[in-house]
This record gives sequence, C-alpha cells and structure tokens, in this order.
Amino acid sequence: MATSMAAALAASLPAPQAAPTPAAPTHDVIPASMSKVIDIEAEIPVTSVQLDGLVVSKIIKHSSDSASHTAHGLLLGLDLDGTLEISGSFPLPHNSGDEDDRSSKTTGRYQASVLRSLKEVRADDSVVGFYQSTTMGAFFSHTLVDTQAIHQDKLRHGGIVIVHDVSQTTRGNASFRAFRLSREFLNAYRKNSFSARSLISNKLTFSSLLEEVPLKIRTNPLLSAFIETLTEPHRSTLPQAHPSETFSAAVPPLYSTSLDLGNAALTKNLEHVIETMDSYKTEEGNLAYHARQIAREKARAESYVAKRKEENASRVAQGLAPLPEEDISRLFKIPPEPSRLESLLLLGQVDAYAKTLEGTSSTTLVKMYAAKASSEI
Amino acid sequence: MPLGPSSSAVHLQPLPSSSAPANRPPSSVTIHPAALFSILDHYLRRTDTQERVIGTLLGLRSENDDSVDVRGSFAVLHSETDEQVAVDMEYHRAMYELNQRISPKEVIVGWYSTGSNLNTYSALIQNFYSQETAPYPAIHIALNTGTVAGEQPGVKAYISSPVGVYPKAENAVFVPIPVDLRFNDAERSGIRLLGTPSDPVPTTDLSLLESTLESVLAMLDRVLAYVQAVVAGDKPGDAAIGRYLMDAFGAGTEELEKGGFASSLQDTLMMSYLANLVRAQAEVSARLALVTAQ
Repeated sequence: MATSMAAALAASLPAPQAAPTPAAPTHDVIPASMSKVIDIEAEIPVTSVQLDGLVVSKIIKHSSDSASHTAHGLLLGLDLDGTLEISGSFPLPHNSGDEDDRSSKTTGRYQASVLRSLKEVRADDSVVGFYQSTTMGAFFSHTLVDTQAIHQDKLRHGGIVIVHDVSQTTRGNASFRAFRLSREFLNAYRKNSFSARSLISNKLTFSSLLEEVPLKIRTNPLLSAFIETLTEPHRSTLPQAHPSETFSAAVPPLYSTSLDLGNAALTKNLEHVIETMDSYKTEEGNLAYHARQIAREKARAESYVAKRKEENASRVAQGLAPLPEEDISRLFKIPPEPSRLESLLLLGQVDAYAKTLEGTSSTTLVKMYAAKASSEI
Repeated sequence: MPLGPSSSAVHLQPLPSSSAPANRPPSSVTIHPAALFSILDHYLRRTDTQERVIGTLLGLRSENDDSVDVRGSFAVLHSETDEQVAVDMEYHRAMYELNQRISPKEVIVGWYSTGSNLNTYSALIQNFYSQETAPYPAIHIALNTGTVAGEQPGVKAYISSPVGVYPKAENAVFVPIPVDLRFNDAERSGIRLLGTPSDPVPTTDLSLLESTLESVLAMLDRVLAYVQAVVAGDKPGDAAIGRYLMDAFGAGTEELEKGGFASSLQDTLMMSYLANLVRAQAEVSARLALVTAQ
C-alpha cells in the first residue's frame, strides 16, 4: 500500500513549478524591496515553517477522528523568503483495501478534484507537503519516507512533512513537528541502495534520516481576536446565579490533564517499545540470514576459483594448456545485499518510543514527588 | 457557555413529543473549533464585493436528544445582488461527496453565513438547505466576525419555521437556539497552542507541567487573597464558595500514604532506566551497523 499511495501522489502532483518564466519585462514592476524575496527558481532554501491556526485545528480534528489508523493529508501554501507558510490543508481518504492500483488512482482523482474545488473559492491550491498523525512520537515508516521522497522531486523546495502526535496532544501538549529528508538519505534513496556499504558512505543512522525544520504557529489577527473573545469570561445575566455559573467563558481556562498522576500511558508506551523491539529482532534475523547466504555463496565461488587455479598450475607443470578462467558470476549467483532501510526505520521507531517513555516517566517522577511533598504538609 | 455577547433571548424548548421524532427541530447546537476556524478563514478570502460568505455545515445528529454536533464546514460560492441570490449547488454537492469519502458519518446539517443580519435571502438559502437536510430541519449559524465597528464577535444558531397563512420560500421566522463550543482534549490543547502564539513550539512534557503548576500557584494565590479578605472582614463570605474550597482542599492523598508510593516510584524509576537503556542500545546498534562491514 505504501508504494501505491506514493505512486498516486506522484501521478497527481502538478509538475514542478520551478520552470523559469520569461520574467524579464516584469522586473521593473516588482519593487526593489520585494524582488529579493520572490524567487521563481526556488533558490532561497526553506529555513522555517509557519503553520496557520486553521491548519492546526484541521489536522487535530482529522487525526483524532481517525484513531484506528494514521491520518494523512496534504498541506497547501506558499514559500516566501525562506519561510514556508502553510495556510491550508485537506485530508486524504484512508485506503484500507489491498487493491493497490484502484485505490491509488481514486486517491489521485480525489486529490485533483479537491484542489480544483479549493481554487474555485479562492483558497490556496499549491501543494507544499503532507502531514501524518502518529502516536507516542514514532513516525518513521515506509509510507512517510516513500511519499516524502517523491515529493522531494516533484515539489518546490522538496516539500515538508508535518508530524502530529495524537497521544501528546490528548495529554494537553499539542505537538507539531516539521521534517524533510536529509541529503544523505536522498543520495542513498536515489541509488536505491541501502546496503551496509551505502549506509557507511552516506553516514546514515536513524537520526540522520530526517532533518527537522523549525516550526512556528501563526494565527491571523481575525482568528486570534476571535479566540481572545472566546476565552474572555462573561458575567451571567441571571441575578443571584450559582457561584460556578457566575462567570463563564466559551473556552474555560485549561485545567490541564498534565497533573494527572495515573500512569496508564506508560504501560501502553512500554508495550509499543516491546512490540517494535520484536519486529526489529525479526528483521535483524532476516538480515543475518541474508548475510550468511551471501557469505556461503562467496565462499563457494572463491573455493571454485582457487581450485581452478590449482588445477591450472598443475596442468602447466605437466605441459598442458591451462583451462580458461571462467566467469564465476555466471556460475554462482551471489544474492544482492539486502536493504537495511527497514531495520533502520524500526530502530528509529524503537528510539522514538523509548524517548517518549523516558519523557513521560521523568514527568511522572516529578509529579509523584510533588504529590508526596504536598501530602505531607 | 455563551459564544458571544449575552442576549436576552429566551430559548424555547419544545416538549419532547413521541409523534414525529424525526422532524423535531434540534434544541441545541455544539460546534467544533475546526468548523469555526474555517468559517473565519473563508471570510478572510472573500472578494471585495462580497458582503458575507456562506457555506455548508457538516456534522452529526444525536439520536436520543435533539442536539446537533457541527464538526466541519466548507465554503460554497454564492452571489447576492439586489434582484437575486444564487448558490452554486453543483459545487456544494461535489464538495459534500468529496467529504463523504473522508468522514462518511458526517452529513449536511445546515449552513453558515458571516454577519448577523437575517434577510429574505437568508430565508431562501435556508429553504434550499432544508431540502438538502430533509427530513431533518436545517440549522443556520450566523457568525459575526466583529470586524464592523460597534458589533461584538459571536456565534448564533437558528432554526427556521414557516410563517404566514400560505408557506412561501422567502418567508420564514428564524428562532434562536443555544449554541456551545465543544472540544475534546486534543482540540483543547490545540486552542491553548493558538491562544499563546508567542510561545515557542513544541513544548516538552516538563515545560507543560511547569506552566500548569505555575497556573495552579496563581490560582492558590487568588484563593488565599480572597480567604484572607473574608477573614479580615473586608469582603462578605459566601457559603457556597467556602464549601467548594473545602471540597477542593479536602481531597485525600491516602492512596499515596498507604505504601503505594514506594512501589509506584520503583516502577516509574525502572521504566525511566529501561527507556534510557533502550535508547542507548539503539544508538549503539545504529553506529555499529556503520562499522562492521569495513
């Protein structure tokens, strides 16, 4: 399914917009202050990402609605002077079935028609990346990497992926992070080789797969004014109202769940860690099996060559013509080196789960001591 | 929780009747932030000539009580002139079908417009949406963006009922019904994030805990100041508040004292140790993969 979605995205994305336009006559129209900012060739690299308030609430809604599977969607916006401004988004349908070709085609059609519709109401319609929901911080997956690799070629500036952590957000800490693929990973991906040698030459570990881009949230003035109004308390119009009802606001101040002493999240987190460890171990087993297979074939090939050389030496000694040195690659099929991408991703997941576990348990420790101290007063 | 300036409107609750439950008008509306914010965004993207923008509301109807939960919205093209009003119905249908593929449970529940003036065109559009939502009645949400001087921002919800001896499409009376903002935990933390845009994001768990503790401290200070004022006789005491305070501070921590603390602490420490161990191992494994084959 991973590749199919990626293929669908690739098929439906607009061609790269970096095509140079004949901009010579418009030069004098652009004021001097703006001419530096507008880059038609996409030469100014993106150094930060700005996420609009609307997108924040849309991603949260989509992610919390689709709790059973990861939510995917596309981000729309523009880049200006190194800042990628994301001002819109829309969700993509979740493909559950295995009919790869059909579902990827319909996803592509869906995407095209949504973009057309958005254009009609003057909303942004240029795709700049995609978002993905995750739980407990583990966002490494084949889908993410494949989709992003395709975006990297198709989109201006290579596109950005925004990762939204559902479990963090439910605990009161809305978590959004922006990533793009690192150059080292792209090198390896383009050559389509994730053998040990390629990993070494590119110095790839799970922490250098993606590079994080600083992200900030922006609310437009209208939205922030509206939120301000919503959080402002109103005095009840009823005389002699109940004290709990005298003042009320549409958005009451946050009594955060972060003071909750329970550690149900820890148990689940630990389960995730163990699960991923198991699949990592299986994957390592596979790799080791492949490595043994390769070693065995190589040894056989080498012994064959050595034997032939010995034979030739003895034949020369006897005054006979030496046997031709045959092409060993035709006689022995040495299997290609297995891709280590999967194990790399799994390792990244293990690390991410453990990191979340570490964070949560340390906060729990702090809370426990705080509660203990306050109970002794 | 009022969503806007308080009004003196009395919300009439129709008596629950068993005769025609399907056609009973909803008695309350809840709206989610995502829907609200896309209306605001649509308003920002209007053309100069447009006085107001309209769009479709999507949501869920609850089976047992007569409330409507508005979960999303999308913009619809329309034009209003002195003579006529036109709504792009094909666009509306297409968008609805697209949305159905994402969240099949959400259905059309009504429409929104910005500004708070209801006119003949409102009644006509309401009539159109009533056909879309049949057999259920359509709701109308009027969102005042507060950009016109002298007007308060706020959200109002209406249902319509026909008026006059012969019901006509352009005649309707809009009856206000209560509207609430509703959010789950995730949406709430999203609003918290948007309410403080100056803060650097994303924050860690610990910094979140810190800010929460600070706000609790501030609350304690306020309560303390109030209690001291009451004790000193500067302020009249309120029995109800006193009882609330007693309930709040009387909350027991017996569970911690009964030896649960030590075992729980051990568990958590072990968890923390394990997490660190796993991370170290993962890092070592990744580095070793780079070395072995050389």
